[in-house]
Amino acid sequence: MLQRRIFLLATAAGLAAPGILRAQGSPYVVGTLFPMSGPNAEYGMLFTNAVQLAFEHIKADGMLKRPIDLRAQDSLATPQGGAVGMQKLASVDGAPYVMLGFTGVSKAAAPIGTRSKVMMVNGGGVGPDLAGLSPYFWNVIPLVNQEVKALLPWLQQKSLKRVALIYVDDPLGNSVLEQLRKGLPGVGGELVDTYSVPPAAQQFAAVAAKVRSANPDAVYFASYGAQQSQIIKQLRDNGIRQQLLTYSAGSIPSVLSLPESEGLVYTSQAADWSSAQDPVTQRFVKDWRAKYNSDPSIYHQNYYNAMRLFGLLAQELEKAGTPVNGENLLQTLLKVRQFTFVGGEGTFQDNGTLELPMQINQIHDGRAQKIA
Amino acid sequence: MLFLQLLLSGIQTGAIYALTAAGFALIFGATRIFHVAHGATFALAGYAFLACSQAGLPWFVGCLAALLIAVGFGLAMDAFIYRPIQRHEGSFFTVFVAAFGMTIAVQSLIEIGFGRGFAVVDTPLTMARAVVPGLYLADIFWVATGVALVLFILVTLFLERTRAGIGLRALSENPELLRAYGLSSRRLSALAFGLGSALAVPGAVLTAATSGLQPAISAQVMLISLAAAVVGGIGSLRGAALAGLLLGVVENLVISAVDTQWSSAAGFVVLFAFILFRPSGLFGQAVTR
Repeated sequence: MLQRRIFLLATAAGLAAPGILRAQGSPYVVGTLFPMSGPNAEYGMLFTNAVQLAFEHIKADGMLKRPIDLRAQDSLATPQGGAVGMQKLASVDGAPYVMLGFTGVSKAAAPIGTRSKVMMVNGGGVGPDLAGLSPYFWNVIPLVNQEVKALLPWLQQKSLKRVALIYVDDPLGNSVLEQLRKGLPGVGGELVDTYSVPPAAQQFAAVAAKVRSANPDAVYFASYGAQQSQIIKQLRDNGIRQQLLTYSAGSIPSVLSLPESEGLVYTSQAADWSSAQDPVTQRFVKDWRAKYNSDPSIYHQNYYNAMRLFGLLAQELEKAGTPVNGENLLQTLLKVRQFTFVGGEGTFQDNGTLELPMQINQIHDGRAQKIA
Repeated sequence: MLFLQLLLSGIQTGAIYALTAAGFALIFGATRIFHVAHGATFALAGYAFLACSQAGLPWFVGCLAALLIAVGFGLAMDAFIYRPIQRHEGSFFTVFVAAFGMTIAVQSLIEIGFGRGFAVVDTPLTMARAVVPGLYLADIFWVATGVALVLFILVTLFLERTRAGIGLRALSENPELLRAYGLSSRRLSALAFGLGSALAVPGAVLTAATSGLQPAISAQVMLISLAAAVVGGIGSLRGAALAGLLLGVVENLVISAVDTQWSSAAGFVVLFAFILFRPSGLFGQAVTR
């Protein structure tokens, strides 16, 4: 009987041992909540590629003692997808750090992440209300109010006074509407007409007809994903020859490669790869070009920075011998504030944003060129 | 002038919707199979045309490739998915889940092959010109309306004047009787899938050139097809085509009176109106229980 008990105890100990070992060196779970299917899946791919490059750099540099386990949830770019995905990442996967994008997704996911003390980093959503959304929510992308603010002086300089706006009816589109409505009179301009469209709309010939009747000097569209390309193409096909304007979402490959995008102007954070001097940016650009045979976009920069931020914060916590959880990651961010990112030193503001210089780009022959 | 412009835009959109919905209506009308994968047929045809266009092949080669792929996919769905399920007396939901699963698989394959972004076939036919001051029209308008008109005349003649066409119409009513007349319900079912899938091709090609493609387009295609099939009268090809046209025109015209936001919703208001006041649709037959 005794022998049998010893045997059972030994077996139980043997079974438990790998578990204990695993607990000591268990990987850090990092979540991504990107649109991986549906009309905005192109963004999910862009974001994920950037996260993976940073992940490879963290691993190659031996920044952390433990490995990182990346867990992905498909947000579908919808608030509902964001809420469900965040719930899974926080409760099932136990991720203390989640990278996400899209304004609607972020706003839906933030309360769930906050409740579970998950640190959330956004590199793609630009709605102004993402500032100060939650103590656990941080942005590594300038928000759209900064983008519109950067565009207004250029509109004045080019005498583009009468602006029409096509905007997707969601938190992002409504923010752009508000910013233009407030900002244009200040530079002697006016918002001549506005056209809200549902996020799933695909036909814009009728909108083009209404734009033509309004006869603006320029047309600003605030949309994202496949819909932006549809708007550009259908406006041009239907005889709209005026200057087209948008925000940083216009920097995705499918917009750049569209022949009808020729001349499109969009704002973005400053990203001048050729003159970058700091080693972090140089390495990012060099390895990106080697891996993807193209220049990185601002989304690549942002999500590389988002993943790098986790590496830097977890490294600090490991040095201090404190557990890597959402609460400690947040405390470390608040303590350090300034980080070496791709694009230079970045300092987080109290409202959860990262102040970055802006630039205006124009598409020529399928490539974006800085014009201001 | 704005009203006329919106009407013409609506006719172009409606012609594409009509072409999109007709194939689904024909398959459902003949076989009573809820072919959700019709959206996948549409996507495959569109991307086949796009691939040929990107390879620099002439447009008619692209159309032929789209036709072969669409018909091949439709026939394969019938032979390898629906027929085995029906042999085992699978329910409506089994058929639905199988077709839905195939749609997701096709979407993933397209994403692997073509990426997840927007894609469009560039053609000068879509560039609108002012025909009179303030009224713009592109050549694709004539192509879309012309193709829709010719195809519906041909398909209607086929369904009404040929033995196979009449057999197709009878298939859903009484397969046993068909056998008595020496017609094979299996072959007729294959014909319905082949023809219905072929009907998705013009809509897919025109969409590739006008509003463009993206891998998740199947859902939108099915939404239009379903709405048109219900408004037109379940199983009625003529009804689905007319309803598709009606939905397109309503979507465009409505914004002369209300905010552009309500454009897509207006089509579905029409759908609800039909469900409430004329559940049998435009050309459907009321059934008593």
